Amino acid sequence: MKLTVQTYSKMIFQLVRRFHAGPVCRAAESSLLAKLRKKTGYTIANCKKALEMHNNDADKAESWLNDQAQAMGWAKATKLAGRTALQGLVAVKFDKEHGALVELNCETDFVAKNEKFLKMIEDATLACFKFAHTHMQAKGPVTKMELDSEQLANLATQSGKKLSEELALFIGTVGENAVLRRAECWKANNKDVKITGYTHPAPATPADYSAGKYGALLAYKQPNDTEDVGRQLCQHIVGMGPRKIGNKETDKPAKDTDDETCLIFQEYLLDPSYTVEEVLAKHKVEVIDYIRFSCGEVIEANMPGVEKQPLDTVQTLQ
Amino acid sequence: MSGRLVLQSLYCSFTRKVPLKHSFLPSNRLYVGIFRVSSNEFCTATEPQFVEKKHCNIGTIGHVDHGKTTLTAAITKILAKDGLAQYVSYDEIDRAPEEKARGITINAAHIGYSTKLRHYAHTDCPGHADFIRNMISGASQMDAAVLVVAANDGPMPQTREHLLLAKQVGIQYIIVFINKADLVDGELLELVEIEMRELLSDFGYDGNTVPMICGSAMKALNGDESEFGAPSIRKLLSTMDEYVPPIVRDLSSPFLMPIDNAFTVPGRGTVVVGTIKRGIMKKNAEADLLGFGQNIKTTISDVQIFKNSVPEALAGDNVGVLLRGMKIKSVQTGMLLTAAKSCFLTNHYKAKIYFLTRNEGGRRKPIFSKYSQQMFSGTWNIAVRIDLEPTQQMMMPGDHGEVYLTLLEDMVMTVGQPFTVRENNVTVATGIITETRSSINVPKGKLGKVVLKFDD
Repeated sequence: MKLTVQTYSKMIFQLVRRFHAGPVCRAAESSLLAKLRKKTGYTIANCKKALEMHNNDADKAESWLNDQAQAMGWAKATKLAGRTALQGLVAVKFDKEHGALVELNCETDFVAKNEKFLKMIEDATLACFKFAHTHMQAKGPVTKMELDSEQLANLATQSGKKLSEELALFIGTVGENAVLRRAECWKANNKDVKITGYTHPAPATPADYSAGKYGALLAYKQPNDTEDVGRQLCQHIVGMGPRKIGNKETDKPAKDTDDETCLIFQEYLLDPSYTVEEVLAKHKVEVIDYIRFSCGEVIEANMPGVEKQPLDTVQTLQ
Repeated sequence: MSGRLVLQSLYCSFTRKVPLKHSFLPSNRLYVGIFRVSSNEFCTATEPQFVEKKHCNIGTIGHVDHGKTTLTAAITKILAKDGLAQYVSYDEIDRAPEEKARGITINAAHIGYSTKLRHYAHTDCPGHADFIRNMISGASQMDAAVLVVAANDGPMPQTREHLLLAKQVGIQYIIVFINKADLVDGELLELVEIEMRELLSDFGYDGNTVPMICGSAMKALNGDESEFGAPSIRKLLSTMDEYVPPIVRDLSSPFLMPIDNAFTVPGRGTVVVGTIKRGIMKKNAEADLLGFGQNIKTTISDVQIFKNSVPEALAGDNVGVLLRGMKIKSVQTGMLLTAAKSCFLTNHYKAKIYFLTRNEGGRRKPIFSKYSQQMFSGTWNIAVRIDLEPTQQMMMPGDHGEVYLTLLEDMVMTVGQPFTVRENNVTVATGIITETRSSINVPKGKLGKVVLKFDD
């Protein structure tokens, strides 16, 4: 008996609903909603709300959504702010005299593969790269600047927006926490000093912009008549993760070559029969400085005891 | 009338609950056990369809906030009522212990439950790399996936990546669970469904037939019995039972048996021992003994299971096989006994591989092409050279990807066969075969001098 009542009530309900909104009209509303959603990519609930507010005027709804996106992004970003973001990518962009290395974190590696994420990190890297061109003052052979989350957020992208705004928009669309973790901007002040970068996995053809799980920037001096090994050295740094360059006089090589943390004493990655020192001597290279990011390492290590390069050439924002 | 109802409900709950609660798995297993033994005793061939509860591996994928964990918790809660699972709360799943499986840290929650038809192992992996690692290490091969999407958000940008993963790990069956259906109206549900079907079709799934179930995992977890509550979860479970076909033992392929051991029976000949992996092995059938560069033709003179001679044996049976005209010297552990001309030997394979991180006991240094080490698979091991895809410069510990394997001698490996690579007695990599390629020459037994041809 209960079953029959249920069936009847369902039928009546459907009947009433059909009177209320005819199938033609409903289909039109749906397709409008579907179109708006496909065009803007905002969540279904928001698209519907926008259409309701503007009496199914798609154009008005769209512009309203775009206006609201920033606010909604901020709201979402604030809501998700506490969540751990360990995944993500490290991106590098460089030319001969400038370099930028940026880490952007998110919660799952699915998001890190999404094109919206790739766009976000590229924007951030380009912003840092531009910053390296315009804002860095000369002092020493290489001017280095370390940027943290807050400083990064205040940089402006090419479209004039702040990175923090872009990030909030991004969080709004993917619904996952994302953090601009850190960045490094470099500028060479001397014609002899060259800057190069490398990320792993590397793109099939060498390019001046790439993104991966690991990344490094390297500043070095090398005369033009020898074969340029900057990229290879940078690959070595990404692969072997040395802690410091090392000094021939003060540092001693480790007993087990596998545990070696000084760059110059390590076996050269691309030909283990040489040490890096020998390779440097052969190609007349002088390594001035390097920096290596491994995605998620900051959070994992919780920052204690992270060994840093000598800070005397570092310039701060103030 | 109400009296009758009360009686009926009493009767139903009595017959349903009591026997099941007490005799859930152990008795089930026992039953299967008895059945197997008895069928073995008479003849294995007569009853190929065992009355055992079929097993199925299923996983949940979806955006972090769309309710994967809640859904898993709700499933266990609903089944726990029928005594078919143990209730696992949201917190317990969320705090999934990092599981140590074969030396690899797999960040995944594994939960088991049964429906009336099948037993399910449910995996909930947080990330892409975790899924791949899970698959490569063989911790669980997923047969089907439940894609969870929240009705109020609809598919997210990264849903594409979720489906890409499903394709990558070879999941054939996808069921969509539209969660939080109580928060929106029917029109929006329809739209989510349309969008999902489009997306599924984009990734090569049959978008029109993929089952979609609307419900609310949260409601079900709270014991709500309305349309989107518990009934939606039951609907999902019955869809899982129906839509994902049972995994049957492969009895139709030509037989294949890895050799575990071999001995000589005086006056009769050489007997090889092993477990049949697939197919049916018949007495007097032609067979090949393959491996370590050898290909020996022979005939199966006799097949024995537990010292009883049988006319044929099935996949899954542990058998001793008497081979005609075989010398014990030519048999080595790790060789394969296969139906004549069904398999071929080669030393070149393509594989998916995962390099263990330093914390998992793996290498510290990256891996380059021409990396040569000892490879272990099944009951044998052999020297192998690993070459990366030409576009790839190196692989770091913790990376996974496709590589080319070149073995020192010809062996038979089937697609999906797992292997590990060890360096100085430490496991540094694990992988599965994805493609067999035609054999290449190893000059003078030196792997370092092999020249690879990349045709694609």
